[in-house]
Amino acid sequence: MTPNQIPVRSVSMLECRNCGAGAPVDEHFCPSCSRILALGRHGDYFSFLGVPRRLNLDVQQLERNFRELSRKFHPDYYYNATSQERLASLERSSYLNDAYRALKNPVTRIEHLLAIEGLPPAKAEHPSGSGATATVPPALLEEVFALNEELDEIRDARESGADPERLRARLDAARAPIDRKREQHEAQVASLSTRWDEESPAATPDRRRAILEELRAVLLERNYINNLIATIDREVASTGSGQAAGSGNAERLDESVVRRPTPDAHG
Amino acid sequence: MGKVVGIDLGTTNSLVAYVRDGVPVVIRDAAGDPLVPSVVSFAADGQIFVGREAQRRLLTEPSRTVYSVKRFMGRGIEDIANDASHLPFTVAGDPGGAIRIGVSGREFTPPEISAFVLRELKRRAEEHFRDQGEFDFEVDRAVITVPAYFNDAQRKATRDAGKIAGLEVLRIINEPTAASLAYGLDKRNRGTVAVYDLGGGTFDISILRIEDGVFEVLSTNGDTRLGGDDIDDVLVQFMWRELQRAGLDVQALLAAMREFRVTPKTTSANVVQAAPERLLSFSASLTKAVIQAKWDLSDQDETEIRIEASEVLPAGYRRRMTRSEFESLIHPLVDRTLEPVRQALADASLLPKDIDEAVLVGGSTRIPLVRRQVEGLFGRRPHSDLNPDEVVALGAAVQADILVSGRREMLLLDVTPLSLGIETMGGVVSKIILRNSTIPASGREMFTTGVDNQTSVDVHVLQGERELAADCRSLARFKLRGIPPMPAGLPRIEVRFQIDADGILTVSATELRTGIEQQIEVKPSYGLTDQEVERMLLEGFEHAEADFDTRLLIEARNEADQVVTATEKHLRRTDFGDIEQQLLPGELQRIDETLQALKDAISGSDRELIQQRTHALNHATQHLAEVTMNRSIREALTGRNVKEM
Repeated sequence: MTPNQIPVRSVSMLECRNCGAGAPVDEHFCPSCSRILALGRHGDYFSFLGVPRRLNLDVQQLERNFRELSRKFHPDYYYNATSQERLASLERSSYLNDAYRALKNPVTRIEHLLAIEGLPPAKAEHPSGSGATATVPPALLEEVFALNEELDEIRDARESGADPERLRARLDAARAPIDRKREQHEAQVASLSTRWDEESPAATPDRRRAILEELRAVLLERNYINNLIATIDREVASTGSGQAAGSGNAERLDESVVRRPTPDAHG
Repeated sequence: MGKVVGIDLGTTNSLVAYVRDGVPVVIRDAAGDPLVPSVVSFAADGQIFVGREAQRRLLTEPSRTVYSVKRFMGRGIEDIANDASHLPFTVAGDPGGAIRIGVSGREFTPPEISAFVLRELKRRAEEHFRDQGEFDFEVDRAVITVPAYFNDAQRKATRDAGKIAGLEVLRIINEPTAASLAYGLDKRNRGTVAVYDLGGGTFDISILRIEDGVFEVLSTNGDTRLGGDDIDDVLVQFMWRELQRAGLDVQALLAAMREFRVTPKTTSANVVQAAPERLLSFSASLTKAVIQAKWDLSDQDETEIRIEASEVLPAGYRRRMTRSEFESLIHPLVDRTLEPVRQALADASLLPKDIDEAVLVGGSTRIPLVRRQVEGLFGRRPHSDLNPDEVVALGAAVQADILVSGRREMLLLDVTPLSLGIETMGGVVSKIILRNSTIPASGREMFTTGVDNQTSVDVHVLQGERELAADCRSLARFKLRGIPPMPAGLPRIEVRFQIDADGILTVSATELRTGIEQQIEVKPSYGLTDQEVERMLLEGFEHAEADFDTRLLIEARNEADQVVTATEKHLRRTDFGDIEQQLLPGELQRIDETLQALKDAISGSDRELIQQRTHALNHATQHLAEVTMNRSIREALTGRNVKEM
């Protein structure tokens, strides 16, 4: 998923396809003929939903605006409209739903903020998609190394028929430091978010960027920690089933999925 | 314009409703019965029966009678091997293709069978409107409900059934949310509602938040193979064991019936043979007896299962059954609804105590055990003020009314029940739109090539929650063609997935470096192509009383569609800029206007207007066609010259 690789034309004005009048990009309806506007390439979920570009959002306001805009855009209300307006309604509703979903969740909210502030996403993938791997964040190297070692031992022990109860206890023990790390990171994300909200309106571009880069680093670590926990959970699950899962599905921690279709014959 | 109705197309029964003076009402037959059994029977003399009469014929002509066809909608032969072993009709199909049902020497797809039920509902509604003294009584548009947990193929199959029946399907909506609309009408309150819908063949749970008239679905889950049919099956299995104990040679009987089995090999070998008629009749009478017992036990503590004497069982059979015995038999089935409920709550990030109201929908929620389970789940007595059989059709009528009237006091925001993804290297699924995303929803994904000068890419679209493509539902495979030749990895093809308000997917793609729109041929994995639907629609008219005008209208629309497509193809040509220079001043604008006028006409139902405007567009594009043709000829000639050199 590398949409950021593509130069996106930034649009400052929309053109009404009904009457040809110009409209600011955050307008949903044409100021002169009041028809619903085609979406164009928007990009900023905050302004689309009419909420400030903050990380501690007033969730009730977000919900209210979402409902209000849903009532304006939804395809239900364009059944008798022209095909152009029906398309615009579908596009705006889809975009609204995507925007609302992204802003409702604090983590995707930060990811969106990073994207619109011009920082590449936290989880970068190799553009050509050839066997790219997400590297371990330096701050986590120690924990990851210890955990990998412990997991390898647990897998070996399981295959040689060790008592599942004891293995489970070892997994729990392995998980505890990771859980603590996660709590630390959640707290860091929260305090950085607050700092962004307080400082960004008055901050210089460099200062803004510094806060965002810190946020991105913490978020990256946090995602990495979540993956670690998921890996432990999978181990717990295969230990719980009481049978050795077989060496085939031993998971590598650094595995990353490359999205690419199977190549087809030359045309 | 004709009338608009809401239709609950159920596994066991179907209903039709409409809004009269702002209030939804179910349309009943002369005897006051709102239910049309979803059963179709093909008599030896060619007559087709639908509804109550067809249901009666389940006993007398089981091998000519099709029921529970909803279970086969949008499915493949490999999905239904288990279900098929109980059926009196034959089922066939190629692996990966749609199912065909063989009955009375003819073959039908599931949407065609459903279309018979829909036509019957349409007929019933039209009769009602005529009796009301309405001048314009034709029913031409409908909102049809589906289980919330239906996948894309099942939704498309339902929409196809509507089209085959000659209905414009305004919207496909989910049964539990339809029910919530019907409830919302007189309550108009706010809060968090859980709709527990256990019908004839499917189970759904939907969690909604209602605020300011917006019905926002937070999450949904379910099981498309869990319902009253399965309860009946459990009871029938139990009865076979009891009959065995009573001395009947059940093994021999079942062996005789099990001559039919699905073996998905080659086309001809896939036909499942029906068992002998008298065995089927006996089996049907057994089913009927246990259904009666099930009903009795909803308000009695004890009942008697009675099987009349027959060739198979000359002495007949009687057995008492208590409610607690019944409940211990069906307990495992009812328990299967618990996990989807837990999942739906988790997906909505809610606890059972957060639910303000629980609503019961579907005939199977009449069973006291089910009610106790739901009460236990949410810690409150569930609502069932509205008839659980009728509430879905009422909600569908409300939604139909919203669509055509433009009333805005209520809005339904539903979700897609299953994640949508594509197959990536190694057979792994990469999710593009997550389950429980509010619809309409869209997603985009970038593709590139793996080899130099590759001009096409295969894309496999899947639906489901599992990691591997093999474990998910295949929706479609398509090829992105016309990628400009470039070194491997350089093309940037953006594929856009759009789930509309019906929960149905469409796909489009653009190569971003060149801006070239890609051609996409989507081959639905288990569905019908548009052409097949159209053909079935025409055949449907031949079978039923021929509605000549509608048929002519469809033909006029088809012809108009062809001209529209051809014109748009011209306008989309990459070299259109050059062509345009050779057009006369104002010519392009005239073409555009004529094209739009024809499109507007197509969406209406005035056949003469369509034909007139088709003609006009043909005329307006004559010169454009000539210019394009000349250009193509010139290009072809230059191409040959190059080759000859």
